[in-house]
Amino acid sequence: MKRSIPTVIGLAAAASLLAAGCGGGSSSDSDSASGPVTLTLAGWSLSTTPEFKTLADGFHATHPDVTVEVKEYDAANYDTQITADLAAGSAPDIYAQKTLKNLYTYATGGQLMDVSDVAKKLGNSVGGLDAYQVDGKTYAIPYRQDSWVLFYNKELFDKAKVAYPDGSWTWDDYVTAAKQLTDGLKAAGSKAVGTYQHVWQSTVQGFALAQTPGAKLTSGDFSYLKPYYERSLDLQNAGAQPSLGTATTNKLTYQAQFGKQQAAMLPMGTWYIATLLAQRESGDADKFDWGIAPAPQFDKSTTGTSNTPVTFGDPTGFGINTAIKKSKISAAKEFLAYAAGPEGAKALAGIGITPADTAAVTDTFFALDGMPTDELSKFAFAKHDTKPENPVSKYTAGLQNILNDAHTAILSGSKSIDSALGEAQNRAKNEVLNQ
Amino acid sequence: MTTLPGVRRRRSRLVWRNTVVGWTFILPNFAGFAALTLVPVVVLFYVAFTNWNVFGVADWTGLANFRRMIHDASFRTALQNTVYYTVLHIPLTLAASLGLALLLNRKLRGLGFFRTAAFFPYITSIVALTYVWNLLFSPEYGPINGFLRAIGIAHPPGWTTSADWSMPAVIIVGTWREMGYYMLLYLAGLQTIPAELYEAARVDGANAWQRFRSVTLPGLRPTTFLVAVLLTIGSFKVFDVILLLTNGGPGQSTLVLSQFIYQKGFVENQFGYASAVSIVLFAICFLVTAIQFLVNKRRNA
Repeated sequence: MKRSIPTVIGLAAAASLLAAGCGGGSSSDSDSASGPVTLTLAGWSLSTTPEFKTLADGFHATHPDVTVEVKEYDAANYDTQITADLAAGSAPDIYAQKTLKNLYTYATGGQLMDVSDVAKKLGNSVGGLDAYQVDGKTYAIPYRQDSWVLFYNKELFDKAKVAYPDGSWTWDDYVTAAKQLTDGLKAAGSKAVGTYQHVWQSTVQGFALAQTPGAKLTSGDFSYLKPYYERSLDLQNAGAQPSLGTATTNKLTYQAQFGKQQAAMLPMGTWYIATLLAQRESGDADKFDWGIAPAPQFDKSTTGTSNTPVTFGDPTGFGINTAIKKSKISAAKEFLAYAAGPEGAKALAGIGITPADTAAVTDTFFALDGMPTDELSKFAFAKHDTKPENPVSKYTAGLQNILNDAHTAILSGSKSIDSALGEAQNRAKNEVLNQ
Repeated sequence: MTTLPGVRRRRSRLVWRNTVVGWTFILPNFAGFAALTLVPVVVLFYVAFTNWNVFGVADWTGLANFRRMIHDASFRTALQNTVYYTVLHIPLTLAASLGLALLLNRKLRGLGFFRTAAFFPYITSIVALTYVWNLLFSPEYGPINGFLRAIGIAHPPGWTTSADWSMPAVIIVGTWREMGYYMLLYLAGLQTIPAELYEAARVDGANAWQRFRSVTLPGLRPTTFLVAVLLTIGSFKVFDVILLLTNGGPGQSTLVLSQFIYQKGFVENQFGYASAVSIVLFAICFLVTAIQFLVNKRRNA
């Protein structure tokens, strides 16, 4: 009798452990073609990223038969977690493509359904559609297309007595303005500097790749980056922007640098508009007059409001899990079309998010409280030729890692531009492009 | 005499019962270990010879991953950096933890406080630690460089923002973080050295240094061996400190093998290649530890 108690406890512990290990994952597979359909959708940080809920509710309102349930994932580890769930067969029916980096792996790994028919129906008004093609087939539909623009603080410009951006800027004009701003602000007794380029490689390389004629990531020739890095180093050395070392060791955030008026300009994606509006309300950002201008350009051929400025940005899209039940496929495709179309765009614009169809919603967007009202801001928001930062290919993830090493080596001053880019080219050739 | 078979049966039932109870107690732990460690490790040895990218089939590619490694300059950089870290980190941590243990092994006011203080870094969240260290290391505004400038060094190092100084910076943080833990092991080791030996040495006229050389160090040999083995394995596997402090940068100046594996596997989805590199890392750890055991055995003999 004495022995039986520990035996029971031990067995119970073992049994519960096994039960916990086996539990979950088993979903009932009843094939009901008619009646209400429930789709599951993967999203991240639902409290700060309201777009998934907005689209799910909006779709339900127009398609009462279909309910969309949003499943939350961790934003920082989204792709890792989705990958694990896909491999385990427990991923949701529809999952967002947070970046373009992993699309190739998902598509060639047979985890994304071919949705070329949805793409064909949507037509040209949806930005970023081409970015989701692998071998001529479309594997996801963008619902959101952020583009990089130049945010600027009108009050700091006034204080430094520098003219606002007028849409005619090349990068050299931007550098000149950043230096003038820094000097002018110092003279006015302010500690703010001219601009803040965040620590990401995108802030330099994204523009260089999108704007330089003939630049191609998979060519393995990175010489197109050189003028962009010369300007960044110039800005750092002139003190017109915090150095990479200062920004990384002090964990500077772009939200605080611009929102708390530490920098007069900020090249950043349009997603920051929603953040800035929210932070003005919460007090995390000061309330000041601001505006957005088109990103500075490679040369004069694309500047001015009569031209279309070239910039970059990865679209965010939805793809359909190939493991979805057959009865749900048509509902899922309808959801994709809804999210990318004008209805979805209006719903997204209402919460400050840049939809894939920007032209349709500019007025809704600029009616939001706290938005600038000048014409250039509207132009910058609505009109641009946005190229993908991560063109989909087998090599993209590997090449971007190499270029990130070059980025930190150059901006930390550890290596000269030429030697860092030369090394990156060698590595690209020997470690990625030969695979 | 007639009761013997009954006793034997009862005894064998007891043995059986004890075995079952023992197994059931081990089972929860072993099931977890098998599911989360043992099986993945076995699978790793298979995946390393394939081109698996998480989805779909893993094609058998034989030694292709290992051949690729030989020609991979980044792998070599990662290996060199790992050795760089290990070679400096092990002796530094050994010396620092032994020194701390000797200091804190005497009667001292506030002894508990100082011991706790030395152990504190080890139990503090690594994320918080690296955040603060990064602020301290900040080249322009950090207090470390502020101090260096104050004592007359005009151009103090850039620490985590310079390719030449990032590894020393990481080693300093790694040593500082771990010395408290190994200090505890040394403190325990010091308690096992009989006080009579010190008395005898004193009677023989040995000074403090001689007592340390001839009594303390030999008495601590088993502890030193344990600490050295743990440190070696820990140094080769170093990951969290570097990921959080420098993320391998600037450039590739602090890229170590664990991070290389992480990048290839979880960022670039090349799980086959990442597994192959893991095997090499495992082999290195195994080899170095085996050598340490051999040397230790020979010394003991």
